[in-house]
Amino acid sequence: MMEELSAVPWAVIAPLLVVQFILVIVALVDLRKIHATNGPKILWVFIILFVSLFGPIAYFIVGRKQS
Amino acid sequence: MSEFNVLLQKEFREAWRSWKFLWIPLVFALFGMSDPLTNYYMMDILNAVGNLPEGFDITMPNLVPADLLQASIGQFQLIGLLVLIASFVGSISKERANGMATLLYIRPISFASYFMSKYVVMSAVGLVSIAAGFTASVYYTFILYGKFEVTMLLAAFATYFVWLLFVSAITLLMSAAFKTGVATAGAFIIIFGGQIVDAIVGVFWTVSPWKLPVYGVQLIRGTMEMPDYWWSMALTVVLLLIFIVIGIYAMKKNAAMAKI
Amino acid sequence: MTTLLEVTGLTKRYAEKIVVDALDFKLDEHTSTALIGPNGAGKTTTLSMLTGLLKPTTGSVKMSGGDLRAMIGFLPQYPQFQPWLSALEFVEMAARLSGVPAKKARLEAQKMLEFVGLEDALHKKIATFSGGMKQRLGISQAIVHKPKLLLLDEPVSALDPVGRREVLDLLKGLQQETTILYSTHILNDAEEMTDQLLFLRDGKLVEQGTLREVRQRFDEPMYVVEFGSEEEARLFADQSEKYTKAAGCYVHVEIHEKNSNMQQLLERLSASPYTVRKVERKTASLEEIFMKVAKRA
Repeated sequence: MMEELSAVPWAVIAPLLVVQFILVIVALVDLRKIHATNGPKILWVFIILFVSLFGPIAYFIVGRKQS
Repeated sequence: MSEFNVLLQKEFREAWRSWKFLWIPLVFALFGMSDPLTNYYMMDILNAVGNLPEGFDITMPNLVPADLLQASIGQFQLIGLLVLIASFVGSISKERANGMATLLYIRPISFASYFMSKYVVMSAVGLVSIAAGFTASVYYTFILYGKFEVTMLLAAFATYFVWLLFVSAITLLMSAAFKTGVATAGAFIIIFGGQIVDAIVGVFWTVSPWKLPVYGVQLIRGTMEMPDYWWSMALTVVLLLIFIVIGIYAMKKNAAMAKI
Repeated sequence: MTTLLEVTGLTKRYAEKIVVDALDFKLDEHTSTALIGPNGAGKTTTLSMLTGLLKPTTGSVKMSGGDLRAMIGFLPQYPQFQPWLSALEFVEMAARLSGVPAKKARLEAQKMLEFVGLEDALHKKIATFSGGMKQRLGISQAIVHKPKLLLLDEPVSALDPVGRREVLDLLKGLQQETTILYSTHILNDAEEMTDQLLFLRDGKLVEQGTLREVRQRFDEPMYVVEFGSEEEARLFADQSEKYTKAAGCYVHVEIHEKNSNMQQLLERLSASPYTVRKVERKTASLEEIFMKVAKRA
């Protein structure tokens, strides 16, 4: 197990994972604070969590509702 | 000047509080990573997927760092700009349509200040975004392929930023002149349609704003014909200034469209 | 009294439709004027032109001294705010954009928000505000720069009775400090705080003047007599064609030549065996005047 973990090229994988992770977290934090969304909130939770990468992007572009 | 500062602060607050300064750069970073990574692991991916026909033999092209930066810029040109334009194309037209502009327009503000405050913020988000995107791309290229010469890399970055200033000017001009739907279509047609036209028949001319992103990479490759570069640069700056002036005029002219 | 604003021949035409048709009126300093009329009469369009947001097709709006936009405060019927700002941030921005110096703007904004009763919500995001809070925020942004003229479009129409009372009291408090022009279709509100009335119908100014002048113009030469019973009222009404039996125990009496007719009526009343409860001059309510103006051909 440890050998397998150390075989993973972390310098390659880590930044990718970190950026994706932050994007998901930011989208979820914003979703929690925002008043209203286009479409049900719970739907956006699933989209952000499970549609990897494009989920959070879609949320920020079409999910947020201002005014 | 103080009026410009007040409006600038308002625009920055909006961009900041709607996370634009965070999520758009992250998107650029992700797409900056994707090309160096997928190219490097292409063989592994193909093997893992398997099902290669018997005797199928592909030779991977020998890529240099500039190739990967160019591929990453290709991603910014499509998905990056799509995200950036979509996030800002309503910044004038939506404010008019939902009435938020009314309480500002009735005050003795200059539309030049208001337009410029929006322009500065869009360009700033763009600057942070391409900085994140370039950093991500260069980082992966560096650990997987090799290094860039720093001066030329910065020159390519600056060149791409000028192109981005051009994109911002068009986006906000469209937003000032039209309703959100038409503005979106207009900005997409000019930015992406222009890219397509330039890709298909662009060999017939050498001076064009749409060529700037590629010219930046050619600076790194050392294959750039400098007169073409400078003429394109000059044309882009002149055009974006003209777009800004028309944008301010359109914003003022359409002030009465603000919903009361 | 000095004239603050003078409007001459103000007209707005869209393609074929004339929305506002050649309005002429003046606003004197420190007066309140109600712009009344049915929906679609052109009230909002008129106010938009006064703010400078909408350019008139023809006609002019003159205000003594300088950039008109610096001297007015405006509250739209449905004000929209940047929801990501706090109340204080918004009003401070409004103050600075209207020319209040940076040093004073925050303090003034705070004072105004306290004045409208939002002192507990200074740092709350506008996104969380209720309708009544937004209306009060709207008033504070309209007065924070001490405008000479305050324009309000249906300032209380959207509020519940409690909110309406509060906002009306706020506006009454402002009457001493500034000139107010507000539109409304709720006549009780207009009756409550108004020096001048402007009736709009189909874009035209069909009636204007002080509340008293308009009342006099629409006053009918009519007295109302209340009797003890319906039977008595009917019997009395039969005595003259000038008397008409109204619903209930009332008789309406037309009196044209004041003295002689009045005398005749009083003599008849005292000669009659009927119980007379009340004799009074009929005064037209704004509501009745409004209906008359709205229906008048």
